[in-house]
Amino acid sequence: MVDISTLSDSDVVAIVRTKDKELYAEIIKRYQKKLLRYASYIMKDEHRGADVVQEGFIKAYINLNGFDTKKKFSSWIYRIVHNEAMNMLSKNKKQVPMNYEVEQDSGIDLEDDFIRTEIINWTHHCLEQMPIIYREPLSLFYLEEKSYEEISDILRIPVGTVGTRVNRAKGIMKKLCQKH
Amino acid sequence: MSKTLKTQVADLEKTIIEKVKSNEISIKPKWYFIAGSLFAFAGLVGFSIGAVFLTNLTLFLLRRHGPMGQWRLQQLLTSFPVWVPILAVVGIVLGIAMLRKYDFSYKRNFWIIMLVFILSIILAAFVIDQLGLNDTWSRQGPIRRFYQQVGGKADSTKRVSDYGGI
Repeated sequence: MVDISTLSDSDVVAIVRTKDKELYAEIIKRYQKKLLRYASYIMKDEHRGADVVQEGFIKAYINLNGFDTKKKFSSWIYRIVHNEAMNMLSKNKKQVPMNYEVEQDSGIDLEDDFIRTEIINWTHHCLEQMPIIYREPLSLFYLEEKSYEEISDILRIPVGTVGTRVNRAKGIMKKLCQKH
Repeated sequence: MSKTLKTQVADLEKTIIEKVKSNEISIKPKWYFIAGSLFAFAGLVGFSIGAVFLTNLTLFLLRRHGPMGQWRLQQLLTSFPVWVPILAVVGIVLGIAMLRKYDFSYKRNFWIIMLVFILSIILAAFVIDQLGLNDTWSRQGPIRRFYQQVGGKADSTKRVSDYGGI
């Protein structure tokens, strides 16, 4: 019996396509947290981010045969979520974005949790104010730890443009955070 | 991560897998994507050929009748089959739209790709015109009638203008 967790994404996809479609749960497990974090940054809202990710996973499943196994699966699925987020953003353009509220988990060390939450809130607040063309590459580079090539594949922009946007985003982030 | 989001994460997997199990969602067959790629490629080739042909036809009509030759500009504007260059531009635009579907379109500077594509079409059209293929096609071959129709409209206006009309 093969240990599923040792298989690469492409191998899991191959099994889902041909033998066991329910193994798609493994793909969801591997990516849901990362994609939820990414989509939440784009949408500026966790719940709308979750809707985007759900739609993204469904579209990815439907189009699984369209994935080229020679390419990186993570870039492909991030691209689908990116497209889904962009569609939802353009649909809800006229809607006022909901305020991002981080609910605290119940923890033993309340002070540490409070400081951590404050820092996260503060960083989120700075990120939220940034235009999406800078916010997205910045979150992909620093939070999702994607390379410039991967970001280029996800956003479908040249690698050079990725570098420029990340550098500009850093400058904007610095200014925005210093303001507060 | 917030509590509600944690719940959503747990529900996400359940919801999707239930849809998979119940066949509410299913994987599109491989042929669907192969057909998609073939159509995209055929579209690119078709639009490119169409754009080359119509650009070449525009050059041919301009060369035959003006714009600084026998016709006055006013006459050129009223009688020139404008749909030919318009369709040529539409062909170029659609060709560019098809090019965007390919991975190389974002790996290289797309403005350069676009410029090369447009210049290639104009160059190909110019070469076809210079080789005299238009003259041959307008006299013989399956598209002779088409050439006569397009050129005929211009010729009839030319004759009217010769008699001091318009």
